[in-house]
Amino acid sequence: MHRSALINPYVLVLPGFLLAAFIILWPLYQLGVISLSEVNRFGQLKGFAGLENYLAVFADPDFLGALWRTFVWTFGIVIGALVVAMPVALILNEDFYGRSVARVIVMLPWAVSLPMTAIIWRWALNGQSGMLNSGLRDLGVLDHNIQWLAQASTAFPMQILIGILVTIPFTTTIYLGGLSSIPTDLYEAARLEGAGRWQMFREITLPLMRPFVNISVVLNVIYVFNSFPIIWATTQGGPANSTDILVTYLYKLAFRYGKLGEASGLSIMMFALLLFFTLLYVVLAVRGDEE
Amino acid sequence: MKRWTTGLAATLALVAVAGIAHAETIRVTVAEYSKKTGPYFNDAAKAFEKDHPDAKVQIEVVPWDNLLQKLTTDISAGANADVSIIGTRWLIDFVSQDIVTPLDPYMTQSFKDRFFPVFFKPAVMDGKTYGLPIAASARAMYYNKALFKKAGIDTPPDTWSELAADAKKISALGDDIAGFGLQGKEIETDVYFDYAFWAYGGELVTKDGKSGLDSKAGYDAANLYKKMIDDGSTQPGVTSYTREDVQNLFKQGKVGMMITAPFLSKQIKAEAPNLDYGVAAIPAGPNGDRGTYGVTDSIVMFKNSEHKKLAWQFMDMLFTKKWRERFTSSEGFLPVNKEVAKMPEFADDADLKQFTNLLPDARFAPVISGWEQIADTTKNALQTIYLGKGEVKPTLDQAAQQINELLKQ
Amino acid sequence: MSAKAKRTIVAWLLLLPLIVLVFFPFAVMFLTAVKPADEVLQPTWWPSDFAWSNFLTMWSEANFGPALLNSLYVSILSTLLALVVSIPAAYALSRFRFAGRGFFRQFLLVTQMLSPIVLVIGLFRLIVWLGLIDNVNSLVFLYAAFNIAFSVWMLQSYFATIPRELEEAAWMEGASPATALVKVFLPLAVPAITVTAIFSFINAWNEFVIALTMLRRQESYTLPIQIFSLVSGRYTVEWTNVMAATFVATIPVAIIFACLQRYLVRGLALGAVK
Repeated sequence: MHRSALINPYVLVLPGFLLAAFIILWPLYQLGVISLSEVNRFGQLKGFAGLENYLAVFADPDFLGALWRTFVWTFGIVIGALVVAMPVALILNEDFYGRSVARVIVMLPWAVSLPMTAIIWRWALNGQSGMLNSGLRDLGVLDHNIQWLAQASTAFPMQILIGILVTIPFTTTIYLGGLSSIPTDLYEAARLEGAGRWQMFREITLPLMRPFVNISVVLNVIYVFNSFPIIWATTQGGPANSTDILVTYLYKLAFRYGKLGEASGLSIMMFALLLFFTLLYVVLAVRGDEE
Repeated sequence: MKRWTTGLAATLALVAVAGIAHAETIRVTVAEYSKKTGPYFNDAAKAFEKDHPDAKVQIEVVPWDNLLQKLTTDISAGANADVSIIGTRWLIDFVSQDIVTPLDPYMTQSFKDRFFPVFFKPAVMDGKTYGLPIAASARAMYYNKALFKKAGIDTPPDTWSELAADAKKISALGDDIAGFGLQGKEIETDVYFDYAFWAYGGELVTKDGKSGLDSKAGYDAANLYKKMIDDGSTQPGVTSYTREDVQNLFKQGKVGMMITAPFLSKQIKAEAPNLDYGVAAIPAGPNGDRGTYGVTDSIVMFKNSEHKKLAWQFMDMLFTKKWRERFTSSEGFLPVNKEVAKMPEFADDADLKQFTNLLPDARFAPVISGWEQIADTTKNALQTIYLGKGEVKPTLDQAAQQINELLKQ
Repeated sequence: MSAKAKRTIVAWLLLLPLIVLVFFPFAVMFLTAVKPADEVLQPTWWPSDFAWSNFLTMWSEANFGPALLNSLYVSILSTLLALVVSIPAAYALSRFRFAGRGFFRQFLLVTQMLSPIVLVIGLFRLIVWLGLIDNVNSLVFLYAAFNIAFSVWMLQSYFATIPRELEEAAWMEGASPATALVKVFLPLAVPAITVTAIFSFINAWNEFVIALTMLRRQESYTLPIQIFSLVSGRYTVEWTNVMAATFVATIPVAIIFACLQRYLVRGLALGAVK
């Protein structure tokens, strides 16, 4: 066998590495520099500031609230999507009439750009002109309009619900792909041995689905943690910052208040937080796999 | 179609596909006010290019909500346009960071004479003019005549206590009718409060440079609004209504009164032509104080522009009678040119007259660096009060304290 | 009743709540799009009259055609570019154990951790430096780069399920690694590649923040920003146009789903193994 570039893994990996590194390292370096600098509202550096920007973020009372809501938001959506997508994928993996149609329907929310989805929901959740209120009234569920976005106690759960809804297609697709990679003969062998459905699910499906669940959890945590459009389009983090998460808070800090130094510091901290959690998860998941 | 074939190669080679530009190109960033904004400026650019064969004008339309973000990124990378529209309340930051250039060297007296001085003033800092009022508006009260008649009220209220009484009567007309449309969400929520605040004698920033929220005027105005919310004189769930949402209610005849800008007349003409409404002055406070909010957007020239002379010629053209007329009329703003204001289209417009009458009382956003954050702090305090999550006095006091900190910076 | 018919009823019943939720925003979008202008603000569900002409108005007012072409251009090219660099990388990860393998995987994950909002200033400076401002090709480049991580992950986990004995058998028969890869491996990997391509395509199709920052002139706008500019006019929103445009922008993606969903079906890759 002659030597070929195709069996040198470094050659194979290099183009992807370079392209990805290019767009991430330079901006990250810039963020780091800005976060340690005194900077005016247009991003022009005015001198070294040490950790001042970081300390200023911690001193802001809104930061802790946003941090806490980011946890609720992220775990609410990731777990919600997992809990819904798994059974949906199992159903869609069964053989039934109209399955292809059902699959396309479940994928549909994904076909709409997220900012647009968020705007449609804003329109639908409108207190007076909103079609959600009028729909629920027509069905007799409500007897008066609910002002969904007027207070955090209704707005935030709604936003999480929308988040779950738009996360389901992606998650379901990953699981469907996973289910299709499980060899059928495993199930046939199990059936011959008299295993029931539940038993097969637990003994065959779940263990073989683990890597796919892991991928979906890690990626969803990352995407949801950083997800901006749903909250921004519906409430802009209001009323009175009561639906702010870190990324909407960051946007205000950077582009509305013009505090680019603090915003960069916050970005680095968010990055570190996410890095910590995903590495923790990856370590735990890998350990689980090896057991 | 050339782009389609060279695309991938260009990307991989990281080569800029720059146009071969012999002509002098000026770039103009404009805010999108409505769907007519883009076509307007593009037509203006074409007309300008016709008169200046060596020049090219590139118009870059940016959605208003993203304008500040776009300007920030552009400026931070030194890739900003030559000329841009900005909110005049941001101008101080642009001036203090030396981003924009004074226009005085270019302006002749006859150019200045085209404008109403009241709109010119906000963009003058340290005696230098940094921006021209590309868009101007003020606020007045719209009221639904049909609802007033039904509730047995003959004239629009002249004071805030009359307004509160009228609103209560109108709200009693039906479940989905509200007397006073109160904005409680997003941009200008603070301004909607200021209408009453000013009438009660309040000042946003007092003479000693402190926030005026923790004053009797502040408490009175907030108590007035809160009381109206509590006794059902406003639409329910005010914190979910942006200005546009309240306007939509008004267009549907579901709101007795609201305060907003001239462009609502324009929208009503197009979308709800049968609505029987009138425009009146914003009510006065107990001592007869009144205040309307005057807003201008400015068009500014950047200091790093390499085509200042040409850029100025384009700005000059935008403020000629012909181009001002088209812009003012299609967007529903107040005329800033004296000549334009004399045209029958504007001079004979009864709605518009109400707005121009209020101009002597007009107040503009204070010229303070970082005003957006102060407005946001005010907005948060108001939302807390509207939602009943905080008492009026302590909430306003706390907000005033935060604003004082910001004012010190 | 056959077993399949029973399964069908149960399956659809179980899916029903989700389907209602999925269709709700689409119904809002569609019905608002076809409402006559004077009914838009009323919360009624059914329009008194279907104003199909709204779509024509939208097409011209929203400058829809050019934006559609831009979006297709950016989405297709960035997907191809992402695949071209991801397939070899994923192949390497699934077939070889090498020093730095773990690092590379974690690095890919890290590239996903910064929100575009966070990166936007840095990316913008990068693109200015490259001279690609207001050039749709900057988006091709950025979207491809952002999609690498996901594509590699996805492809690698599929590739791992393709037994390497197949290639080894081909090597035994005298095929070069390149031939084995193209003739034996890639055909088996088609479903995985398709699914990955769909992901990349949709991500590019729907991306907003980066496009807004990098593009300047309306001629270079992609669909999401073109549509968004209809909503964020400062003073009023043309809801019918917005909804009509969103609806039309959704159709190509929905068609892709409908055509390619069978690739999500099990069996293609593994059928060959049996």
